[in-house]
Amino acid sequence: MTHPLRRTRALPFSRRSFLRGACLHAAGGALVALPLMDSLRAEDRAAPPPKRLVLLYNPNGTVEKDWWPEAGASESDFTLGRIHAPLARHRERLLIFRGVHSHVAQRSDNNGGPHQRGIGALFTGQMLQTGDFVDGCGSRAGWADGVSIDQAVADVIGLDTPFKSLELGIRASDNDVQGRIAYAGPGKPLPPMNDPKQVFRRLFALATEPPSAPIDPSDPLDARHSVLDTVREQFALLRPQLSQEDRSKLDAHLELVRDLERRLAAGRPDRCVPPAEPPSLEPGSELDMPRVSRAHLDLLAVAFACDLTRVASLQYSTGFNRIRYPWVDSLGEGHSLSHSGPSNTAAWEELTRRAIWHAEELAYFLDRLAAIPEGDGSVLDNTLVLWGNEVCQGNTHSLDNIPYLLVGDAGGALRSGRYLQYDDASNCDLLLSVLHALGIEAETFGHPDHCTGPLSGLLA
Amino acid sequence: MSELPRPDAPPLFGEARPRRCGRGRKPARAWSRLGWSRLGWGCVGLALATLGGCEARPELTPSRTTCDPPAARRAPLRLLTRSEYDNTIRDLLGDDSAPSRAFPPEPNVGGFDNNAESHLANPLLVEQLTSAARELSQRAVRDHLDTLAPCPNAADADDCVDDFLGRFGKRAFRRPLTASERTSFLTLYRKAAPTLGYEAAIGLLIEAFLQSPQFLYRVEAPLQADVASAEAPLPLGPYELASRLAYFLWGSMPDDELLAAAEEGRLGTADELEAQARRLLADPRARAQVSRFHERWLGLSRFETVVRDTDEVPSERVNESWRRSLLAFVDDVFWSEDGTLADLFTSPVVFVDDTLAELYGLSAGEGSELLPVTLEDARAGLLTQPGLMAMLAHPNQSSPIHRGVFVREHILCRPVPAPPPSVNNTPPDPDPNATTRERFAVHTKDPACATCHQLIDPLGFGFEQFDELGRYRDEENGHPVDASGEVRHAPDPNLDGPFHGAAELGRRLADSSAPGQCLSRYWYRFALGRMDSAEDACTTEGIAQSLERAGGRLEEILIALVRSDAFRQRAPWIDELEAGP
Repeated sequence: MTHPLRRTRALPFSRRSFLRGACLHAAGGALVALPLMDSLRAEDRAAPPPKRLVLLYNPNGTVEKDWWPEAGASESDFTLGRIHAPLARHRERLLIFRGVHSHVAQRSDNNGGPHQRGIGALFTGQMLQTGDFVDGCGSRAGWADGVSIDQAVADVIGLDTPFKSLELGIRASDNDVQGRIAYAGPGKPLPPMNDPKQVFRRLFALATEPPSAPIDPSDPLDARHSVLDTVREQFALLRPQLSQEDRSKLDAHLELVRDLERRLAAGRPDRCVPPAEPPSLEPGSELDMPRVSRAHLDLLAVAFACDLTRVASLQYSTGFNRIRYPWVDSLGEGHSLSHSGPSNTAAWEELTRRAIWHAEELAYFLDRLAAIPEGDGSVLDNTLVLWGNEVCQGNTHSLDNIPYLLVGDAGGALRSGRYLQYDDASNCDLLLSVLHALGIEAETFGHPDHCTGPLSGLLA
Repeated sequence: MSELPRPDAPPLFGEARPRRCGRGRKPARAWSRLGWSRLGWGCVGLALATLGGCEARPELTPSRTTCDPPAARRAPLRLLTRSEYDNTIRDLLGDDSAPSRAFPPEPNVGGFDNNAESHLANPLLVEQLTSAARELSQRAVRDHLDTLAPCPNAADADDCVDDFLGRFGKRAFRRPLTASERTSFLTLYRKAAPTLGYEAAIGLLIEAFLQSPQFLYRVEAPLQADVASAEAPLPLGPYELASRLAYFLWGSMPDDELLAAAEEGRLGTADELEAQARRLLADPRARAQVSRFHERWLGLSRFETVVRDTDEVPSERVNESWRRSLLAFVDDVFWSEDGTLADLFTSPVVFVDDTLAELYGLSAGEGSELLPVTLEDARAGLLTQPGLMAMLAHPNQSSPIHRGVFVREHILCRPVPAPPPSVNNTPPDPDPNATTRERFAVHTKDPACATCHQLIDPLGFGFEQFDELGRYRDEENGHPVDASGEVRHAPDPNLDGPFHGAAELGRRLADSSAPGQCLSRYWYRFALGRMDSAEDACTTEGIAQSLERAGGRLEEILIALVRSDAFRQRAPWIDELEAGP
C-alpha cells in the first residue's frame, strides 16, 4: 500500500532555536537532556524517515466507566473519558478500540488463569504453552506460544539499528508468564530493564570508549573478533557431545552471540551525542517510580532521536503486582485493589487516578517525540504507540473489550482521531492491522484460528 | 456449575495427595464403590485394593532410596544463574564484584531461580555476559596474573600457557579440557601474544573462557555410547557429579579437592558422595547457600514490595529487618546442633535488631546485629515469627488469605486446586467496611469461589492474633480477637480440624509428617533444578523418611538427597537409545 508522505506540522524556526539548548526542562521535568538535534536532521538520510513502534502496558484492567469515550454522531465525534483527558491535546492521533476481544486467551484448551492468558496474548495473539508457572488460584501455564507484535516488527525494521529493540520496565521484576509482554518467539520472553542507569549505560557505554570501536572482521588482529572466534569454536566443539535437545539450547545461545557480534561490527552512529547520565534511582521503590518512568521515557526519546532503535516496549509492573501509587494517593496493593467491587467507590477512584497517571505519562512521552524534528514533521509523526492491558476490568477479569489504544497514524496509513466500536473482533486482527500500518506484509498474526484479516475501517 | 466437594471427601480438582501408610505399603486413591466414604481410606491390604487404600510396594532399603520405576530423570543443560555466576567468578578469579547485578532475572518457577528447562539465554543476557567477560578478564590479569598464570621467566611463556590451560582450564570448565578445546585456546594465544604480549593475551583467553558454553552451562549428561536400555538409568560421570554437588551445596564451582576426588574416581558410591557432602556443608559457603534456599522456599522476595503505613519506623528499614530476622530464625534451626524440623514449628525464639526491638517494645538491641530473644506472647515457631506475619499482611491490616495460602503452599505442599473454567460471571461485591470474616461469607456464597476459599480462609483466621506489623494482639478495634481456625483437606488427616491460634497449629505441624514431606520436595526442586511430579514421590518420600529417622535434623534432608538415585543418576537420552548398543 503506498501513501503520500504527509506534510504535517512544520516546526516554526523559533522552536528549532529553542531546541538548540543542551538541556531541556519542559514542563513536567525532563530528566535526561536531549542531545543536540542539528546533526540529526534528515538531510543525511536519503530514505524517508523510519517507522517506529512502542508498546505500552499497565496491569489489572481499567475502570470502564472512566475509560470508554462517549460516542457522538460519527467515529471522529466522541468525548474522551476521564482517564484520557491528559491525551486531549493529541486527540487527532488517537484510536480507541472497543469490542476487541482476546478470543485466543479465552479458548478452553488454553493454559493458565486469566491474568496469565491475558498478558500472554495481549501483544502475541497466542495461547500459553504448558508449564510450571502457577497463578494465584492454582492454574498452571508456561510462556506464550508466539512472537509479539513489537518483535515481529523489529524483525523487519530493527535490523539496521544498533539495538533491535529495547524492553524497558518500571517495577516489572517478576519473571514468569504474568510478568512478560514481549516475545522473540514461542517460549522466548524478553526481559525488561528496570534501572534507567543501566539502560543508559547499555545505550551509551561505547560512547565513553575511544571512538571507532566497531569490530573489524577482516582484521585478524582485532582482539574482540578473535575472542568471539574462539568462543564460537568452543560452541562447535561442545555440540557433538550433547543430546539433540541440549543442542537446540546451545544453538539458540550461539545465534544470540552471532547477533551480538553483527551488531558490534555495525558500530554506533557517532553523530549521536549522548545525554547526561540519569540520576541514581531506586527502581524497586514506590517513591522513585514516577521518576523512573520519566527517565525511561526520556531515554527512549533519545534512543529514537539517535536512531539507536526503532522498536520498544514499556512495561509498568506485572499481573500479580502489589504496588502502590502513593503520589496519586493510591495506597491499595495493585492486584488486590483491582479486585474491589463497584460498591467500593473509593477503591475505584484510586484505580482511575492510577490510569489517569498512565495517560499523563503517555502524553509526556508523545510531547517529547513531537519536539524532535524529523523530515517535514517530528519523530512522533513516524511513531505508533499501542497501549494495552491484560484484562478489561480488574474485578471481572474479563478478556472481552481489551482496552487497546493506538496513538499515531503511521505516516498516514491509519485514519486516526476516532473511537472505533467493533462487534466481537479478535485482538489478532488488531495486531495484524498494526503490521500492515507499518508497511509490513503479512497474511496473519497470532493464532491462525483467530485471525481473519486486518480490522475493517482501520487502515486508510 | 460444578459441585462443591463434600466436607469429608478429597478435593475434586488438582492433585489428590495420598496419605502416608506404614512401611511396605503405598497410599492409593480411595474410591469406594459405594460412594464417598471415610472407610474407603486407610492402609488396608492388597485384598481390599478394589475398595482403595494401600497397596504393597517394594521394601525400601534403610539408607538408600530405590524406586521402581527408577527415580532418575533427564538432566538437561543448566545455565548458571546470577548467583551461581557471581560465586563461580569469585572462586575462579578471586573477584567478588558480583557482576551479575545488571543481568536479567531468571524465570521464577515454583519460587526457585534455577529451573533447568526455563532458564535460557536471551539477547540482553548475552550482551551482559560479553561485557562482563571483558571487564572481569582485564581485572583478573591486572590484579592476579601471578596467581592465575604465573610466568617468572618470560622465555618460558609457551610452557606457562600450557600450564595455564591445564590448571585454569580444568577449573573453568570443571573438567579437563579436551585436546581440541586446548588447541583452540592456544591458537588464540598465538594470534594475540606477539602484538599484545603475555599478560594481555592471557586476558583474552580468560575472556574467551568466560563466554564459552562449557563454563556458562553445567553439562550434566553428555552423550554416552553403549546405552542399552531405556529402563536402566545411567550414573552421572564423576566430573558431572562434582559440579552437581558443588552447585547444590555451595552454589558455586567444585573446589580442587572435589575435582581431585572426581579425577581419582572417589565419587562413585553413595558413601563417598556423602563424605564430600558433609565436607562441603562444613564450609562457610554452605551457609550462604542454605540461606538462599530458605529465602526462596519461603518467598522472602515479597519483602521488596511490602509497605507498612507506620510512623514508628521507615518502611525500607523495617522490611529488611523482618527479612533478616526470619531468615536468621530458619537458618539457626538448620545449623543448630540439636535443631530439628519440630523446632522450626515450636521454638519461641525471635531474632531482633535495634529496629525490631524498637518496634516490639523490647530493650534496645545491638545495632543491626540480630540477637535471639524469647517473646512471651503465644509465639511458637515459624508461623508466629513477626517477620512472616508482617510479610503476609496488607499495609494496614492482617491478611488471613495470604497466611492461609502460605501454609498450604509452603508448609503442606497442598496448594488450592485450579478453579473450573467458567464463563464470565458477576464477581462478588463485598462491602468494603465489612470485617474479614463477613467478607469470607461472601466468598462462600458463590460455589466457584468457595472451592478455593474454604481451604484458605478458615486456615488463615487462626493467625488473627498477629497484626500487620507482626505484633501480638488480643483485641482489635475494641473487640476481642477471634483466632479460631480450621485446617481442611491437609495431606495428613491428623492435621485436619479446628485449632486456636497459630502456635497450636505449629505444635500440630511439629507432630505431623506433612511438613517434612513438603520441605523435602522443595529441596528436591532446588537441588535438581526441576519441579517434582507425582513420579518423583518415591524419591521425596524416601528423603522425608530419612529425615524422620534422623530425628528431624534438617541437614539430613540434603544428605539423603545426595545419596538418592535421583541425584546420582540420570535417564538416558532418546538419542542414546536410538544409537543402540
